[in-house]
Amino acid sequence: MNVRIRFFAQFGELLGTDIIAESSSGVALDSLIKEVASKNKEGYDAIFDEHGSFREFVIIMRNGKRLDMADAKKVRVADGDEIAVFPPVAGG
Amino acid sequence: MIAVRTDDIDIGKLISDAKQRGTGAIVVFDGVVRDDDIKEMNIEAYEEVALKELERIAQDAKQKHNLLSVDIIHRTGRLVVGENILVTVVSAGHREEAYAGSRFIIEAIKAGVPIWKKELTNDGGRWVPGEHGHGAGSRKHK
Repeated sequence: MNVRIRFFAQFGELLGTDIIAESSSGVALDSLIKEVASKNKEGYDAIFDEHGSFREFVIIMRNGKRLDMADAKKVRVADGDEIAVFPPVAGG
Repeated sequence: MIAVRTDDIDIGKLISDAKQRGTGAIVVFDGVVRDDDIKEMNIEAYEEVALKELERIAQDAKQKHNLLSVDIIHRTGRLVVGENILVTVVSAGHREEAYAGSRFIIEAIKAGVPIWKKELTNDGGRWVPGEHGHGAGSRKHK
């Protein structure tokens, strides 16, 4: 199963901007992001706190739709999903 | 026109095009790179999602503020001090609607459109912090 993970802004600098992650079917979204982010401690620490929870300001989209962060642990990714992980937006 | 792009914007043409039957007021917002002791600004976007969000904001603004036309162009890439970052042009029958619609659009963009800015300095760079933390884009503009 392949899932595309896109990191933006400082997360992208630390972890790469566009990653194809191979994983087993039905993996939890937070587990997959942890696995990918664990390749860079600074990047991991930017997204997850000391308890392994998403930091309060982290925003996640699945296939272009914003996730309620309370659901992030419950969501199971599917083959072909695009997951975007980013800090608060600052356009304009 | 609704766009996320690297090219600069012909504001004069947007204003001309915004003048249509019933137009009594046009408000232009032009956000530019400020001279905050920086060399350049690099602007990054989640482009496909940002474009959809801008299109939705334009529709919301038209409906809520009775606008006749809306243009939103947000630039990406490296920009120097003084360059245009974001241009919005709205037309309406009256100034109250045009001002309110313009304000609605910029606040909605800052709240929820996935775009980020990095100020490039002689020491490296710094990401501009967002004004809205977790839950940003919670559709407060709806």
